[in-house]
Amino acid sequence: MEGEALVAAAKFLAAGICMGLGAIGPGVGEGIVGAHALDAMARQPEMANTLLRTMVIADAIAETTGIYSLLVALVLLFVV
Amino acid sequence: MLEHLGKELAFRFTVGGVEITFHPVVIAVALAVVVAIVLVSLWLRRGLPHTPDAPLSRRAAFLAGTIDLFENQLLGGVSPRLVRQLLPFVITLFFYVLFCNWAGILPIPYIVAPTQDLNVSLGLALLVYLLTHYYGIRAKGVGRHLKGYLEPFPFLLPLNIVGDLGRTLSHGFRLFGNILGGAILMVVAPTATMSISTALVPVVGPALGWTGRVPLSLILNGWFGLAFGVIQAFVFTLLAVAYIQVTAD
Repeated sequence: MEGEALVAAAKFLAAGICMGLGAIGPGVGEGIVGAHALDAMARQPEMANTLLRTMVIADAIAETTGIYSLLVALVLLFVV
Repeated sequence: MLEHLGKELAFRFTVGGVEITFHPVVIAVALAVVVAIVLVSLWLRRGLPHTPDAPLSRRAAFLAGTIDLFENQLLGGVSPRLVRQLLPFVITLFFYVLFCNWAGILPIPYIVAPTQDLNVSLGLALLVYLLTHYYGIRAKGVGRHLKGYLEPFPFLLPLNIVGDLGRTLSHGFRLFGNILGGAILMVVAPTATMSISTALVPVVGPALGWTGRVPLSLILNGWFGLAFGVIQAFVFTLLAVAYIQVTAD
């Protein structure tokens, strides 16, 4: 029982650390993407449509590592 | 707490040592979305004018507006020849993913968004992967399409293949992870509010939890269900277009 409780505690801790650290990168990345896209849109409002498309793609790519850490956290919580 | 994520309703088969799992709820909801889209499309088509100079009906105007939106927003940078081939597929993909995402917030027990099952989202990503090859071969021929894997240098061939597969995997995982993460948050946050307020506030804790729970659920369903559904469907379709465009143009 002692070992099982230890494993469960380690599981929850690991999931929390994984998700928390994994969210830093995408957060910073998407912030940079959004800031620069807004900058460009303010400078050239007629380009806003094209910029929005490119911005969403860049956001989705920046988000990928966050999604991976979410998957690892889910596997830790529900599968391991 | 997470039982209505539909995990326990599963048929498991073992075929040749490989365990295959079917989730009846997911299959049923995915097919129901197909039926709903077909019915809505038929209804919209019946609103089209029969003669070119008939007055524009509301349904026809809606269709024209939708097609115009997709042509300009999603397929803005694609060559006109490819736009004609891709437009029906892109619109169908967008609305299928959108309605699959939105199915998750229906207040019916056991109903989940089909896209929060990896089988559905990865299946859609694989469909897009096969279509990239189809349009690549159609646009450039088999030889030149396969030669694209040897560029810029022939020794980068393994890297190109791995990059292709990783792209497809992350395409599917992105939709899956976003929708599943939202669904889990929609369940966990109101329950956590409830238990935290019950534990911390002495007498009025449970009442406070219930009053906080309703607006919180509404906000979470609106944001993670409706808004994220649109955003993720848009991103999924946009990336599909980008992947097809890279190989076909």
